[in-house]
Amino acid sequence: MINTPLIRFADVSKVYHLESGDFTALDHISLDIQDNEFIAIMGPSGSGKSTMMNQLGILDVPTSGELFISGRDVAKITALERTHMRRDTIGYIFQNFYLIPLLSAYENVEYPLILKYKKRDESGKATAMLKAVGFDEALSAHRPTQLSGGQQQRVAIARALVNDPKILLCDEPTGNLDRKTGFQIMDILCGLHSEGKTVIIVTHDPKIAEYADRTITLEDGRIAA
Amino acid sequence: MKDIFFDLSVRSVRLNLMRSILASIGIVIGVVAISSMGMLGTNMQLQVKDQLSAGADTIVITADAVRMGPTGSSSSSSSSATGITKTQLNKIKLAAGLTSKLVPVYSTTTQFTLASTPGRSTVYGLNPDDITKFLTISNGTNIGGINDALVGATFATNFDLKIGNRIRIGQDTDTSRPVLRIVGILAARGMSSDNVNTDNAIIVSDDWYTNQYGGKDIYKQVNVIVKDINTIPDVKTAIDTKLNTDQKKPAVRISDASSRLSGITSSLSSITTFILAIGGISLLVAATSIFNVMMMSVNERIQEIGILLSIGTEKGEVRRMFLYEAVILGILGASIGGISSLIIGYSVVSYMIGTTKYFFLPESIMYIPMGMAIGLLVCILSGLYPAWKASNMDPIDALRSE
Repeated sequence: MINTPLIRFADVSKVYHLESGDFTALDHISLDIQDNEFIAIMGPSGSGKSTMMNQLGILDVPTSGELFISGRDVAKITALERTHMRRDTIGYIFQNFYLIPLLSAYENVEYPLILKYKKRDESGKATAMLKAVGFDEALSAHRPTQLSGGQQQRVAIARALVNDPKILLCDEPTGNLDRKTGFQIMDILCGLHSEGKTVIIVTHDPKIAEYADRTITLEDGRIAA
Repeated sequence: MKDIFFDLSVRSVRLNLMRSILASIGIVIGVVAISSMGMLGTNMQLQVKDQLSAGADTIVITADAVRMGPTGSSSSSSSSATGITKTQLNKIKLAAGLTSKLVPVYSTTTQFTLASTPGRSTVYGLNPDDITKFLTISNGTNIGGINDALVGATFATNFDLKIGNRIRIGQDTDTSRPVLRIVGILAARGMSSDNVNTDNAIIVSDDWYTNQYGGKDIYKQVNVIVKDINTIPDVKTAIDTKLNTDQKKPAVRISDASSRLSGITSSLSSITTFILAIGGISLLVAATSIFNVMMMSVNERIQEIGILLSIGTEKGEVRRMFLYEAVILGILGASIGGISSLIIGYSVVSYMIGTTKYFFLPESIMYIPMGMAIGLLVCILSGLYPAWKASNMDPIDALRSE
């Protein structure tokens, strides 16, 4: 093999054991994602998009098959190592922003740095990151509830980026934003892709999917296209 | 370095300030209850110990077996009388050694009339030479003549007695009612540990006593006053060996201040433990309310916990955040509780014991830091499960919760 892919799904299945019977959310998925790809994942509700994002975000492990991220089999590492991979390798951007309500905009961005270095940030990295995503510096002491949706998503992107992860996982990042702000956010993501990040985005919106190099369509837990 | 998890906890407490304060009040009450009750019990013990320390150099020997009263006794002579015999007294003298002082004591209770006022009190019959060995005459002189008597300080005050006053002994119906002349008043002794409580008693000579009540050479008790307090265990053993030849049926009971003191202090400390337990119950209630507040905090912040876990927060860090919250509530409650205990405890002790001279002694005041530590510990223990629950949430489920 010439290029080890950044992410490799090798016959991955995820089965949920429900009272009503087993539910297969991912059904024997095999997929390689290379470094610096821009991937869009599409599909109807219940097709397995969220399950796939949870696998990619190392919030969950496959029931069968193997998932390699940065060359490591996520099912074979300890829970603490998975936590550290979430912190260092992956930046997660959510539809609902999911900022920490008790922290200010600045502290939300500083937070992953504290997790990694176990001390408050003195390098100015958090401030620089907020500036890079076009966040108004005057608002950095504001709590998330005091910010607009667009501002919140900028903070969330800055937070996702601050530990310089290889992979950016975006779960409907423009879903809660107006169209104009949505495109501004997409422009930021495109910029990050051109700087070398691997961007994986889940979306319902074909217009958003157009930004991607490759679109993966899921249906009933399988790759349809 | 300022810990961001501590910051988060402080902000969470501040966000739900009223709820947090109410939960802390439970701890305040618990700490105050434990500290005040503990201090009250200890001050009580210290006071009793102090009062009993008079007579610490004395061994008291009383008869264990019942012996027949001697003939010639004015009371019904065939009835059984308990006492130490002359033979036993001689054995005690031998066992106690030359340096110890022996005080054989007769005692009974009697009715009397003072002017026209009737009364009832204890009468001690002592050899006049023995009186000065352990009693202090504060006013007047020692017994000289056969009809002379001494009275205790409380007795003298109660009946407004002066030297030279006369007491008529016995009931109105008695045919012979001898008269005693008061020659001296004793200094107050308080509650004494040598079983000779003279404050409210009449002291007569041994000769007068045996003439009146009979029972010559059958003593109610024999007090051995040792020269060196450290020899008490040895002297006790020596007397025990000499007199209690049959260990299954000991002839005499030998006790000293320390064994009597330990009996009293052990019952007092049982009382202290009991009231401490009552204080403990209030802490249990406080623990429930802290637990409740912590569980509310965790349940309200499920999504936040999901965010923290999904972006790479370690379980231990989430646990720490919630334990900090419990510690903040604990420190808040324990500090206010500590200060309140000082004020309330002081008032309670002053009101119940009547003195605060033992309040600041280490064995009393230590209940405040102890109560505070227990309060804090209770908070931390109450926070353990909620913190554990928070850190072990599935981040996917937690994120999904609204």
